[in-house]
Amino acid sequence: MIVSIATLVLGFVIGYLGQRSRLCFISGYRDFFLTRNTTLLKGVGGAFLGALGGYILFSHLGGTIPEFPIFAHAGIASFSSEWLIMLVGGIGVGVVGVLSGGCPYRMHVLAAEGRKSQWFYLLGFYIGLVFYNLVTIHLMVVIRTLL
Amino acid sequence: MNLRQIKVSPFQAGLVLGLGSALVQAYFKVIPPVAYGVCMVCHPRDLFNWIADHLFNLHWGFSMASTNWPVLTVIGVVLGAFTAAALHGELLIKPAQKPFSYFVNGFLMINFGLIIGACPIRIVLLSAYGDFTGVFTWVCIVAGVLLGTWSMRWIARRQVAQETVA
Repeated sequence: MIVSIATLVLGFVIGYLGQRSRLCFISGYRDFFLTRNTTLLKGVGGAFLGALGGYILFSHLGGTIPEFPIFAHAGIASFSSEWLIMLVGGIGVGVVGVLSGGCPYRMHVLAAEGRKSQWFYLLGFYIGLVFYNLVTIHLMVVIRTLL
Repeated sequence: MNLRQIKVSPFQAGLVLGLGSALVQAYFKVIPPVAYGVCMVCHPRDLFNWIADHLFNLHWGFSMASTNWPVLTVIGVVLGAFTAAALHGELLIKPAQKPFSYFVNGFLMINFGLIIGACPIRIVLLSAYGDFTGVFTWVCIVAGVLLGTWSMRWIARRQVAQETVA
């Protein structure tokens, strides 16, 4: 139950802050490439620094931060088909993010503000989730076997 | 202190998000996998599949973090953003523009996101955790944004040129 409460509270806080600050993990890069505006990009930097600081701090305080930093334990994975899948998937997320005007987090925030365009985005998002469970996940098994 | 007068910069919001995601992993059992404090692709998947599994016994997969109780990040984000918008008078129903385009983008985003097993937020968290695959995927997402930005700029220039000729 603690997982549900903790994620609900954290979600509420970042939802509130996201609405007030326009924080987005796609628009930051897009604004920088288009206009050299770094306001939103600083949000991405803030998340990285906050997470890094948190992992270092909580691992010293005895929190559950196993195998941190992970490269010291797992090493750098050699090139495999997984890297190719990450390449295609990563580029896909970036392109679709720009075309839709933001990351999934920003789209949820905008939908909560009452923007109907983002309601359609979320409709596609959750129907896409069913499609992933029924089709894409099995397709990926076949692709991984072929690669 | 009036909550409405507090101004939040994206940097400050990002800092809280990063720190909060480390906190819920460290002390509130949002693990495994690691660096899973916030993910706006995997957490909706976990919640959706958890409900589907418990209601209809579908056996759609979800992370071990939500084995007993579901992760409710996505509900929290919507409630938090709704509260903030309502408190600041920004809660307005705006009509949809290009609904089919948004629908397709949402459809594609969740599929690409679940293929890499992360959203752009979790990629940042994974990179902070020291995962080189995360760093590589982060670079790929930025490359995708660059590609998308170029294509948008190209389409806009083409439209302007066509209007000028007409």
